[in-house]
Amino acid sequence: MKWIPQDIDTYLNAKEYVDTAVIPIYSISFGGEMKQSAAAAEFITLLTSQLERQFTGRLLLFPPFTYLKNENSEKVLNDLQNWEKNIVKGDFKHIFYLTSDIEWKAHEEKLGGALIWLPSLLLEQMTESQKVEIINSQVKQLLILFTQKWQEKG
Amino acid sequence: MSKERVSRRQFLSYTLTGVGGFMAAGMLMPMVRFAVDPVLKAEAGGDFIPTPKKVSEITKEPVRVDFKFKQKDAWYESEVTETAWVYKDDNGKIIALSPVCKHLGCTVNWNTDKEHPDQFFCPCHYGRYTKDGTNVPNTPPLAPLDVYPYKEKDGYLYLGKAKPRKEA
Repeated sequence: MKWIPQDIDTYLNAKEYVDTAVIPIYSISFGGEMKQSAAAAEFITLLTSQLERQFTGRLLLFPPFTYLKNENSEKVLNDLQNWEKNIVKGDFKHIFYLTSDIEWKAHEEKLGGALIWLPSLLLEQMTESQKVEIINSQVKQLLILFTQKWQEKG
Repeated sequence: MSKERVSRRQFLSYTLTGVGGFMAAGMLMPMVRFAVDPVLKAEAGGDFIPTPKKVSEITKEPVRVDFKFKQKDAWYESEVTETAWVYKDDNGKIIALSPVCKHLGCTVNWNTDKEHPDQFFCPCHYGRYTKDGTNVPNTPPLAPLDVYPYKEKDGYLYLGKAKPRKEA
């Protein structure tokens, strides 16, 4: 389910079936890294929306968690932990973070949810059908990971 | 000059009738057009979207067919990819099923549950459907998968808008 009013209505009516939160994470930078930052954002957005299509009925796709690349990483981590606290309170059993920023790998154990890091792909030069194919193959692999996590905790 | 002279009064009344008639027609015509508009409207829902799948390539094993079309959402026009599970049944008839689970809308896959082979399986809440799209009782879905109407054109498969079926 997406973060739109109709889907939230469905969510509120079927809360017991939706136990997974997915949060896209990407940073914003300026200057020379601006384009790289935009490419990462595009990749994560496409990937999470495709993931949402696959698992519409079991997950809620949150709006992305964004932060400035040059911000203090302690503060950014604190913010995300704050999100996590509220999401857990909102009855989500599984939380997945999707990012292509390698720095999050260092903070992985400080988060309760599962952090999935994927290297960003340059989608720019690809045709529409190539994009779909690549993203679909990534989603297929994530499908296995998600079903495993779901089975772990029953 | 003719013998019957047109008086000033007559001239004015002719002119007024003429101009008034035009104005009345100008006002009434669009009204009439709007009133009969639903009758003149072309039949909608006849939109068939081409898929890259050749009809001759369809076998008895369901395969994923992706097809794209443009969708307008307020100001934003986007390209939407939809998927269908396509196969031929025992009588050679083409069946195109919507992959959207009737429970909460996840995408179902063919033959991915090892314990229940040759069924459509929804990984979200373990919903199952038989090959013809009928929901398996005692699994979460309460209705069979939607069916796409189809057409064959130049050897390729064209799909319409998926339609729900009656409850099993």
